[in-house]
Amino acid sequence: MALFIAKRLGAALLLVVGTILVAFVLTAVLPGDAATARLGEQAAANPEIVEAMRRQMGLDRPLYEQFFIYLGGLFRGDLGDSVQTTRPVLTDLMLFGPASAELALSATLIAVVVGGGLGIVAALRANTAVDNVLRAFSLGGVSIPIFWFALIATSIFATRLQWFPSSGRLDAGEIPPPRVTGFYTIDSLLAGDLPLFFQAVDHLILPAIVLSAPMVGLLMRFTRASVLDVLGQEYIRAAEAKGLSPRSVVFGHVLRGALVPVITVVGTAFASLLAGTVLVEQIFAWPGIGSYAYRAASTLDLSAIVGVTIFVALIYIFVNLITDILYGIIDPRIRRA
Amino acid sequence: MKTPRRLLTAATLVAATALALAACAAPADTDTDQPDGEQSESLVIDKSFDLVTADPARMFETTGNIVLHAVYDSLLTFADGDATEPLPSVASEWSVNDDATEYTFTIRDGITFSDGTPLTAEDVVFSLNRVKNVQGNGSFLMSGLSVTSPDESTVVITSETANTAVPAIVTSPTLGIVNSALVSENGGTDAEDAAETDTAEEFLNTTSAGSGPYMLETFDTTTETVLVANPEYWGEAPVYDRVVLRNATAEAQLMDIQSGTADIALDLGSDQINGLGGDVVIDTAQAPTMFFFFLNANPEVSEITSSPDFREAVRYGIDFDAMLELAGEGAERAYGIIPSSYLGALGADSAVERDVERAQAAVERLGGDVTVELEYASDFSSNGLSMGPFAERIAAQLAEVGITVNLAPGPIATTLESYRAGTEEMGLWLWNPDYPDSADYLAFGPGGIVGERAGWTAGMAPEIEAVMEEVRSEIDPAAREPLYQEFQELSNEAGVIVPLFQPAASVVSTSAVGEVAYDPVFSLDIAAIGR
Repeated sequence: MALFIAKRLGAALLLVVGTILVAFVLTAVLPGDAATARLGEQAAANPEIVEAMRRQMGLDRPLYEQFFIYLGGLFRGDLGDSVQTTRPVLTDLMLFGPASAELALSATLIAVVVGGGLGIVAALRANTAVDNVLRAFSLGGVSIPIFWFALIATSIFATRLQWFPSSGRLDAGEIPPPRVTGFYTIDSLLAGDLPLFFQAVDHLILPAIVLSAPMVGLLMRFTRASVLDVLGQEYIRAAEAKGLSPRSVVFGHVLRGALVPVITVVGTAFASLLAGTVLVEQIFAWPGIGSYAYRAASTLDLSAIVGVTIFVALIYIFVNLITDILYGIIDPRIRRA
Repeated sequence: MKTPRRLLTAATLVAATALALAACAAPADTDTDQPDGEQSESLVIDKSFDLVTADPARMFETTGNIVLHAVYDSLLTFADGDATEPLPSVASEWSVNDDATEYTFTIRDGITFSDGTPLTAEDVVFSLNRVKNVQGNGSFLMSGLSVTSPDESTVVITSETANTAVPAIVTSPTLGIVNSALVSENGGTDAEDAAETDTAEEFLNTTSAGSGPYMLETFDTTTETVLVANPEYWGEAPVYDRVVLRNATAEAQLMDIQSGTADIALDLGSDQINGLGGDVVIDTAQAPTMFFFFLNANPEVSEITSSPDFREAVRYGIDFDAMLELAGEGAERAYGIIPSSYLGALGADSAVERDVERAQAAVERLGGDVTVELEYASDFSSNGLSMGPFAERIAAQLAEVGITVNLAPGPIATTLESYRAGTEEMGLWLWNPDYPDSADYLAFGPGGIVGERAGWTAGMAPEIEAVMEEVRSEIDPAAREPLYQEFQELSNEAGVIVPLFQPAASVVSTSAVGEVAYDPVFSLDIAAIGR
């Protein structure tokens, strides 16, 4: 097991280094001059100011030098400064990362509980009316355009019914809880501020539900298929024949066997969630990595673009690593392979 | 296959519980219960942020203007939506010499900064020199100007050449007066090498050092920026003690205004406003933003667009009123490059009527069948308008007179670069005033910043350049007016720069707040809301 994890870790590390190089080269060959992109019409027409800006941004050095300076900074945990926020990119990532993580994890939680739960129901009721309704529901979840769903959800639940707020992580002008994890839901509880906790949850619900829609659909289908598959296996029949109670058959045998493919799906779906967050964060004015990346790209904020790329790559790699390791734990055949 | 019914129930329960939990967590009455009176005065303003910094010397953005106009006082100001006459602010009075090269300002007595330090002429000199030497986006405002203080209550601004725009320039929040002692203590300097040595930006992004009606409580360029009333303010206290500016897209602003989450929304387009219910107040005015396109006059860039025949074909081939339809309600056709509320703006009598035959004849002289490329930024919008539809309409209209226009959309980062490098054959752009004075629009003349980008260099149009020279040194506004008109008439005739329209700008507010006027200079005058 240890060797298996070490191998996976080594591969992950190589991936990270490759990502940094690719991200850096890509931003370097991007059309557009990051220095003048920051300047106004009048300032851009003044060579002195443009030169001062290029110097300030380190763009006056040759590319290879810039890369080594950047790498050197990375080892010191310095990702450079963002042009947009004028803060170090690392600070920005620490600030916006947890916001996105809170949203993505909430969406995943909703998807696992709702999608997984309904998937099991559909499998156990295969080919009945209940199953058909649930299958239609999952198809809807997978195929609904997230952008449209977000707009519809806000206009109904936020604007008309006013059940939920339509934007931000907290009400306007509210002071965030003292920072521990960066998750407002957790930090507000740690601070013992219940009203603030409810406010944070309130703001989280709508975007999380919208973001979870495709994943709910996907998980339902996979769980259903996976459970059906396991139900047909020899060892389940054997267990039933032994006279085990139905509950222990399902929870002891069926679910364990059905878990492997489902974990894969959660892993890959979580990664695709990151793409969804860009849209959802834009619509709900959720200050996370998605909207940060969008702004960085549109203003040629190079340090921020590279920073976000590395950050997202790390998450992908980490999630894949966890998925692999979980496999190994659940299914011994995989780690011996 | 046998399925235990109990199991189904269990699984369904899990799902149901999850949904129920989600519902419970949301109290149906999301009326934000204010714990105390502290927050009831909070005013929430939604704005799509282009915020970069709260350091006046480095700030030159729309949102920054709104925020810093409320935090820093300038020598002079504009108020009540009137952009014609600068009013006293930090300077209680001012005078100018006969050739518009020397302006003398008397500093008002009794102004203190928010920390209680008195504001003196020394602070003014420090603030203006710092802008000049930090070499930020707004430093050009001080180009050719130098500032001195002969005594504690007098400031003299000297210009190398005649400059009639100085009073308008010093109203800019970029030239806001900072507490020089406090800023110096925190890394600020007005020395000549300030571009390299001034490190006060970080401090000014957390603590404001001004004398304006508000102070910064928190400043964030991405989420929200909060202002609180300055108890030391020397003028009339603002109505709202606490103002929250939130970064929100136009779509989110629409939701926020409808649900009452926001009191004021600044970026709603006319279509969105038409769909709003009854309990909002709308103030619509023309923004001073100018949409225009140009035909590159540099033969090396384009043989076609640099030809006078082509310019004539475009001048009579474009249907300006049809362009205006696309710009939505409240937009206004531009008869010249100077916006309607400024000195010397042209009226409808200068309008060119579309003449397809005349345009076709001009195309014939070119040999017929000409193809040009029109570049524009596809990922950029202003006042709820993006460039795409206008580019398409230009192409459609010119196709009718025999000109094929290939559209070349691109991300703003790249199109801006070719625009500034002067390599676009045709470009569709907009211009926001740098300061509210017609002098800013001389940038569109031959040799001006925009003129150069359109390949229209100094010496190409001596007649126009003579008028420009004359208007720069004319200190009598009454005499300046006809000169600005002449400059525009001649420019229209030359046809290198083609002004299109000024979009509408609307401030939407809830009825509880009442009408909030769009400010033609600062977009929004926060301190005046509710008066």
